[in-house]
Amino acid sequence: MLGILIKKQLLEVFRSYFYDAKKNRMRSRWAIAGWFLFFFAVMVVFLGGMFTVLAMSFCGAMTPLGLGWLYFVLMVGIAIALGAFGSVFNTYAGLYLGKDNDLLLSLPIPVRTIIAARLVNVYLLGAMYSATVLIPTLIVYWVVAGVTAARVICGVLLFLVATVFVLLLSCVLGWVVAKISLRLKNKSFMTVLLSLAFIGAYYFFYFRANDLVRQIVRNAEIYGEKIKGAACWLFLFGRIGEGDWFAAALFTAVTAALCALVWFAMSRSFLKIATASGSTEKVRYSEKPVRERSLFGALLAKEFARFGSSANYMLNCGFGVLLLPIVGIMLLFKGREACELIGTLLASRPESAAVLLCGGLIMLASMNDMAAPSISLEGKSIWIPQSLPVEARQVLRAKTAVQLLLTALPMLFASGCAAAVIDASPAGKLLLLLTPVAYSFFSAHAGTAIGLRMPLLNWTNELAPIKQSGAVGIALLGGWAVSGVHIAVYMLIGYRIGAAGYMGVWTLLFVLGSFALRRWLDTKGAALFAEL
Amino acid sequence: MLNIEHLTKRYGEKTAVDDLSLHIAPGEIYGFIGHNGAGKTTTLKSVVGILQFNEGRITVNGRSIRDEPVRCKREMAYIPDNPDLYEFMSGIKYLNFIGDIYAIPADERQERIRKYADLFELTGDLAQPISAYSHGMKQKLAVIAAWMHAPKLIIMDEPFVGLDPKAAHLLKEMMREHCDRGGAIFFSTHVLEVAEKLCDKVAIIKQGKLIKAGTMEEVKGDDSLEEVFLELEAE
Repeated sequence: MLGILIKKQLLEVFRSYFYDAKKNRMRSRWAIAGWFLFFFAVMVVFLGGMFTVLAMSFCGAMTPLGLGWLYFVLMVGIAIALGAFGSVFNTYAGLYLGKDNDLLLSLPIPVRTIIAARLVNVYLLGAMYSATVLIPTLIVYWVVAGVTAARVICGVLLFLVATVFVLLLSCVLGWVVAKISLRLKNKSFMTVLLSLAFIGAYYFFYFRANDLVRQIVRNAEIYGEKIKGAACWLFLFGRIGEGDWFAAALFTAVTAALCALVWFAMSRSFLKIATASGSTEKVRYSEKPVRERSLFGALLAKEFARFGSSANYMLNCGFGVLLLPIVGIMLLFKGREACELIGTLLASRPESAAVLLCGGLIMLASMNDMAAPSISLEGKSIWIPQSLPVEARQVLRAKTAVQLLLTALPMLFASGCAAAVIDASPAGKLLLLLTPVAYSFFSAHAGTAIGLRMPLLNWTNELAPIKQSGAVGIALLGGWAVSGVHIAVYMLIGYRIGAAGYMGVWTLLFVLGSFALRRWLDTKGAALFAEL
Repeated sequence: MLNIEHLTKRYGEKTAVDDLSLHIAPGEIYGFIGHNGAGKTTTLKSVVGILQFNEGRITVNGRSIRDEPVRCKREMAYIPDNPDLYEFMSGIKYLNFIGDIYAIPADERQERIRKYADLFELTGDLAQPISAYSHGMKQKLAVIAAWMHAPKLIIMDEPFVGLDPKAAHLLKEMMREHCDRGGAIFFSTHVLEVAEKLCDKVAIIKQGKLIKAGTMEEVKGDDSLEEVFLELEAE
């Protein structure tokens, strides 16, 4: 039974790899293999490669000094942070908010089996992120220090202890979010607020930790002794990776005990949380004057209501709304200094600061991809826009407009700040202001078009279209790729026409691309929407 | 009011609706019956413009749903078999959304919402999010949303499922009143007793093909609708 439930959940997570929604049939074996290869490449080559380089620099510096344990403490710390951060926003929804709760609870399946299946799902997602750090960490250590049976077995135990610890952290956080969420009226906004506070704290400590790690690596022996004395449990923890049987047994036992505790707490509260309708007071309806809206206004208001109703949607697809103004303010304070530094470092590429700033702003704008899952989020309610007297193109325009407004307006502020601090000609300043705004137009239209080409309407958890769909992945990574290409081409050949001319070309491309996409959405896109 | 001529809808190799023709006149309540998977929902969804069909022609008051979908939809309302409404909205927000789409003036809108919500005893719950509604409450909200813009033609797929007896009775009365005022209703149902008592005309569909259609008397004669239906199904 457990196997069937896990298989069902994994199929849902990787549904788009197996099933072609457009053709309404299973993909061929080759296509499935291709999608998994792509996933493997992103996880192993990109993330794994990045952490392999980090592991090599740490391990090479610490292991010869007998500080292998410190190397493991640092690397496993990163793995736990990455795993917990990767799954923290999904845990509450993943554990408790499945749309198939009622169905599963009505079937002759023990509740503990449902909990176990959900936990395995959370574990696998967290472990997936952690593994991109842990596997290179272990392999690099085995290469540098040599392979022994103790190191391999204890290394495997370290992997299990770290990944299970990520699961436990996620569960505790998921439970806290569930408890708070059931008592709140504006759940989604409060969840966003709490999550942002968490992210703020995370980055605060992350940047502090970066300095700390650098200092530790530089003075490894001194800090090693200090940690060994003051926090000997950290020393013991790191010793697992070095092949210390006692440390491995101790931490495995502690993790198992914590696991049992969390399991006990979850089995007692799962049913109550999963079936709760919330204990907030019932709002009585009282008639108020109606504000009439135009047809497009109604569609736009509906799209904004959808966006504001889901913490998952806001956090995963609207991070740029917050980041862009923050970066704008930071630029006002530190921008001039940064531009001067870039100018000095890249003296052979004149005016590169403007192009780098522009590329950076494009990358930040890519964090907003609310248009990409918007069509999929219609889900089973797709019959509403299809049966109402509205043209499909108006529906699509409303979806595009949400991303456009939520990106172009903060972008105008951020690029305005960038233009204010950059030392460039008036044309250069103007284009630094306009190019990222033009990109906002382009990305909003592109997001809607991608979402339309890759719809995912039969989901049981909204995380599937928001976080796990191909459309969102392509929109996000595509935006980063545009940013990368924008900078790379300037460094290679673009500098020859100057920053203003170069950004002018990109602005033109974005504007033309937006028009082309708008035309496609109004014609073929609208026809596609009608056929969904 | 509604003309369906030679409607054919295929899903890949499978023909879900095969050369189906029906005419629904103003003032008629037209029942549509058939076993599960016979093609009822596909036909209804094609009529309201949700599904694109392969062959045939559907017109609402002389206008083709294919050529003038928005104008046709303005004169229609649709209630699906499963009321999957916007769960992120409250009941009143959903009704106001529908009001905005159909450009119903504010005072008229409020009056209709008040009238129908009171009738279905839903007024007190209108400020609640739809996600907190039961299936029956969602169905009531879908009915209110359909009636509030005074459509000429109402298309309903299993409208009585989930409604309590009082609401079901009320809906039947509203259907009759709507048709007495010159409107028309085309709806599918598995409840043959309801169809027999309520409908002016009835059509029976089997494996995508229309096997019998006409006035209730023409279809059932002296037998009950259930007997006729089971007999036709067995053939």
